[in-house]
Amino acid sequence: MRKLAYGFIKTVDAVNRRVGRIMMYGIFALMAVLLWSSISKTFFLPSLWTLEMAQFIMVGYYILGGPYSIQLGSNVRMDLLYGDWSLRKKAWFDLITVLFLIFYLGVLIYGAISSTAYSLGYWGTEPFSFFSGLISGSEEIGRMERSSSAWRPYMWPIKLVMIVGLFLMLLQCVSELMKDVLRLKGEAI
Amino acid sequence: MSYEMIATLMFSSMMLMLLTGQRVFGAIGFVAVVASLLLWGDRGGFDIGFAAAMKLMKWYPLLTLPMFIFMGYVLSESRIADDLYKMFHVWMGGLRGGLAIGTIGLMVLISAMNGLSVAGMAIGSTIALPELLKRGYDKRMVTGVIQAGSSLGILVPPSVVLVLYAMIARQPVGQLWLAGVLPGLMMASMFVAYIVIRCWKNPVLGPVLPAEERDIPRAEKLRLLRAGILPIVIFAVMMVPFINGWTSLVESSAIGALAAFAAAVFKGRMTREVFENSVRNTLGITCMFMWIILAALAFGAVFDGLGAVKAIESLFTEKLNLSPWTILILMQLSFILMGTFLDDTAMLVIVAPLYVPLVGELGFDLIWYGILYTITTQIAYMTPPFGYNLFLMRAMAPPEISLRDIYASITPFVLVMIVALILVMVFPAIATWLPEYVYNQP
Repeated sequence: MRKLAYGFIKTVDAVNRRVGRIMMYGIFALMAVLLWSSISKTFFLPSLWTLEMAQFIMVGYYILGGPYSIQLGSNVRMDLLYGDWSLRKKAWFDLITVLFLIFYLGVLIYGAISSTAYSLGYWGTEPFSFFSGLISGSEEIGRMERSSSAWRPYMWPIKLVMIVGLFLMLLQCVSELMKDVLRLKGEAI
Repeated sequence: MSYEMIATLMFSSMMLMLLTGQRVFGAIGFVAVVASLLLWGDRGGFDIGFAAAMKLMKWYPLLTLPMFIFMGYVLSESRIADDLYKMFHVWMGGLRGGLAIGTIGLMVLISAMNGLSVAGMAIGSTIALPELLKRGYDKRMVTGVIQAGSSLGILVPPSVVLVLYAMIARQPVGQLWLAGVLPGLMMASMFVAYIVIRCWKNPVLGPVLPAEERDIPRAEKLRLLRAGILPIVIFAVMMVPFINGWTSLVESSAIGALAAFAAAVFKGRMTREVFENSVRNTLGITCMFMWIILAALAFGAVFDGLGAVKAIESLFTEKLNLSPWTILILMQLSFILMGTFLDDTAMLVIVAPLYVPLVGELGFDLIWYGILYTITTQIAYMTPPFGYNLFLMRAMAPPEISLRDIYASITPFVLVMIVALILVMVFPAIATWLPEYVYNQP
């Protein structure tokens, strides 16, 4: 059990670290798209795709980079009381309150999955049965949702990215929870 | 249950969650989704969290956020502001309290290159603070100078706080930024006036530089002035295309980020370490902001759904029979009060959606209110027990400055800021004159 927990923590942290380290450079991709946008606007015809492309990059940047930001400890806490607590007390409180965070992420993921199902042309209320139906062949992809701009990109890829990112965030929170459990058992982590 | 009751319940449970010390976005997001699930059942309830993510994606001006954060880190990590400090040091050192006045000048220039107060804070406490302490300046005054000065970062354009405000209030960012210029300069001169008066009455607080240190050849002095070109260039490449309408706000911020990056590279300061730190911290801080905004949007959506704003408005105007001005003043007071104990970023995105529509409803100019809002946020940034700047100062200040010193240092500056707030309230033209002048030209 202990070994399993360590294995989980190690794997999740390593994967999220790597994903975050890659997304970190997304800032330059974003800059490049925006610069191209201003250049093309000034000298040639304005590009249609830059605005939305920049938005998609930003979504990938902060959602896929989120777990790494948790590892870095960038997410602020209100430390009026928290700041003065002992490590043990902090671990106890985190252990409980991180469950609230996990619940929030769970709701977000459910929303993301049902929105992705919509973007693939499913308008019902059972997104999970739609996806399993897609695999077994009893459901088909319907009218795919597109953005209502001149470029008209399909919406499902970015929603898929968001599902992946939110899921990684959830795993990171579980990893944080396990670390707190191990800390309370007196292990140095 | 009445809507006011639900709203109060949501607010108090959020406060309770925040006090547990969980990450702010988790606390806010959890309350938001639970409230919406209880109110609207599993369909609408499940969607509200993710709908906020899609709304966030489409908020175009938000793309400036990582750009300005990156710019701030490049400027502070690469220490290209060192020369700027030297310039003020040499030129202002001969006056009583001159280095403190110079620091305010430095902060104004840094504010013009960046949209948050973090960079000014970092530059001020790593470059200016040790120098000033070495020269025998009063540590409390100096700490206050840096905290107050760096808070100008969110008032002088470009300003991230005004971008967030613009999105919430649906006002043009360009006008809001221009509206911040004069109040920002006014506040800076008020700080300078305060320093001059204090040091004139009590010269020990800010001694004049010794003669041998001031004895610098004129040519050298003039050479140092060149340091001032950099901020002007960065400000100009960012703002000129934007004000002329050649580029959008977001594109300008990318140009600014590139300009700051290029300046660091040309000066040979973009080492591996600086690069790594700026890129990594940009991700961290951007994620912090984005996840909090994401959660706060969901919270705000529940509030909107409740019609809470309308309910509060009618409570004030009809039941309590207050005049719009009384309400405005009460709102500012409660804002400052809340700012002292709420996390500032959270306050920004939670309180604003509640207050801003109310101000519009009461018939006030929303551009003008944006400036009041920003000054209030500045005050909140500095007041204990929660203050973004306070925390940063605690983390960055040298050990001889205690927490007590930091708390004591801000009092006079907060008073000056309150005076500035009142001035802008009484004379709205301080804020509104410049945008009207620029945008109403034939």
